Amino acid sequence: MNMIKMPGRENTTDEMVVGLPRALLYFRYRVLWETFFRELGVKTTVSPETNLEIMRKGAERSASEMCMAMKIYMGHVDALRGKCTHVLVPRILDFGIRRVMCTNFEALPDLVSNIFRDSSFKVLSYDVDSGKRKDEKRAMIEMATGLGFSGKNSAHAYKVASRAQEEANAAAARRTEALYHKDGLKLILAGHSYVLDDEYIGKPVFQKLEKMGVTVIRADQVDRKQALRESEKASPTLKWELSREIVGSLVMHYPQVDGIILLAVYPCALDSMVNDMLIHKNSITKVPVLQMTLDDQTGSAGLDTRLESFVDILEMRKGE
Amino acid sequence: MGEKKNRKIAFPMVARYNEVVRYFVEQGLKQTYIMQPPMTRHTLNLGVKYAPDMVCTPFKTILGSMIEALEAGADTLIMVFGYCRLGYYGELAETILRDLGYEFDYLNLAEYTTGKSKDYLKALRKLNPDAKAVPLGKAGIDGLKMLERIDTIESLYYQNCGFEITKGQYRKAFDRFMDDMSKAQKGSDIDEGYDRCRETFDSIPVDKGPFPLKVGVLGEYFTVMDEFSNIDLEQTLADLGVEVHRWMNVSNRNLHYPGEKNLNARIREYCTYEMGPTSTANIWYAKDCAERGYDGLIHVKSAGCTPEIDIIPVLQRIGEDYKIPILYLTYDSQDGSAGFQTRIEAFYDMIEMRKKVIH
Repeated sequence: MNMIKMPGRENTTDEMVVGLPRALLYFRYRVLWETFFRELGVKTTVSPETNLEIMRKGAERSASEMCMAMKIYMGHVDALRGKCTHVLVPRILDFGIRRVMCTNFEALPDLVSNIFRDSSFKVLSYDVDSGKRKDEKRAMIEMATGLGFSGKNSAHAYKVASRAQEEANAAAARRTEALYHKDGLKLILAGHSYVLDDEYIGKPVFQKLEKMGVTVIRADQVDRKQALRESEKASPTLKWELSREIVGSLVMHYPQVDGIILLAVYPCALDSMVNDMLIHKNSITKVPVLQMTLDDQTGSAGLDTRLESFVDILEMRKGE
Repeated sequence: MGEKKNRKIAFPMVARYNEVVRYFVEQGLKQTYIMQPPMTRHTLNLGVKYAPDMVCTPFKTILGSMIEALEAGADTLIMVFGYCRLGYYGELAETILRDLGYEFDYLNLAEYTTGKSKDYLKALRKLNPDAKAVPLGKAGIDGLKMLERIDTIESLYYQNCGFEITKGQYRKAFDRFMDDMSKAQKGSDIDEGYDRCRETFDSIPVDKGPFPLKVGVLGEYFTVMDEFSNIDLEQTLADLGVEVHRWMNVSNRNLHYPGEKNLNARIREYCTYEMGPTSTANIWYAKDCAERGYDGLIHVKSAGCTPEIDIIPVLQRIGEDYKIPILYLTYDSQDGSAGFQTRIEAFYDMIEMRKKVIH
């Protein structure tokens, strides 16, 4: 059963509107999710870009020690209240051995249903868990058949959606790959997509760097299969899928850039260890590395100064 | 791992379980076991100095106790793994130790994650390729027996030591038991030590009165079990006159775990899925204590423990539904004991007053 609170059976899909919180895995799976529901004829709505109000509401709803990305997510769920009948909150545990997600993604559907138990929307979920032999395909098809769609329509919707997502990923990786061949000062911005794509926290870093005339290249947009292979060489027991993509990408590309910025949100469990590993044992430190951690107290002045001085250093090095 | 006939093996300090590892290494692998000194502030300071700043506290403690084991003469370290950040402890700790210049052989069981549990046993045999299967199996079985006995005795100790008429009797028997375990050479030594301790425990006069205060302690796997890491939480509670109950230990979570499905069925109103490696057990235990009419719950975790942070909203709901007070304690490496003492005493005063009103 994928539904945390069961709907009143099949006829609900007509009035059904699925809310997609614009946070966490939305940036990784937006094409997959939006195409999937469109193919099924289900309306979707996306929460607005992160703003101060969303940050504030999210912090109110969350346990105080959760990471900023989780707090932002709760703010987006809050913003969807009254705008949809369901909110899509997948549970993604792993894709196989040493291909796991942060435990937050395992807890997410139950967290949302507990935190928002006073709200009228239902939590719609799908469960990706290799121990239960559930990959993304099976999990999403089960979610759709649980809503009353036929197995055939559900499978078709998944096929179209996953192909669209794969094409989007490949296109992003190609576009990003081309940037490594550009002239001028280049640096890699390494961070989770939900940090880099977030309007309120990640985008300002991007814009600031671009304004300084730097070519900013995202580590997470990469040929994922190749990155996974590279990460295994760099760190054999590294098990987090998202970290492995980023680490693999850094190992593949560091000789082509002038510097690396490791951008994390406070307090990211994965980055707390992985970034340290990178500094300790990896060759990537042959180029200058700046570690930055964003928290909800960050004013832009401190951030600007650090970015500016880092770019200054890179320019000086390049000038020599 | 290099070829070596005589190893000096050590394992990071974890609660009272190092005696079990010692027994297995000596009796099964027929190698020398190096027991580092008990953890102190110095252990944690070593960890804090060399570990990343924002990693969860058990990594720092474990790193510190690995350094102390190497300083005590160990030449081989064993490291286990888990389903949270613990799964990456092994590799990062090795990297840091090698950067510090330590030379040692390392068995990181996380490297043997293949989906088959017998591969871990194969890995352990690398520590002594000549180890015979029969003594190895026997030491494994006896070692697990010791582990269960330690858990049973520890559990009885914290449930009763706060009510003894003559102070110190329980502690004396418990210390004697741990001393027996540290000397055990064969299965019957474990049994004898255990039986003697049970008999002594049974003979110690206690006065619990009609309504002793009962508190359930739950939380993060490492910090909740390890008295150094939780700054003697259970002893502090017991000394105030509380019956302290804790389900989370290696016997319950790893040897006799009822299984995710069975436990989840008991908390369906709170959770659809498993939320983290120990989440289902902790949520179930919180509900179970509440249903048994315990007077309070204490949730223990190290700073930044993601799975435990994520069950807090569920625990808060259980607290509301069952009207049971919950104290949330987060341990980081900066803490002295004074702040904790005050909070625990205030919690005790509150549940005691509540109890008087109810009865």
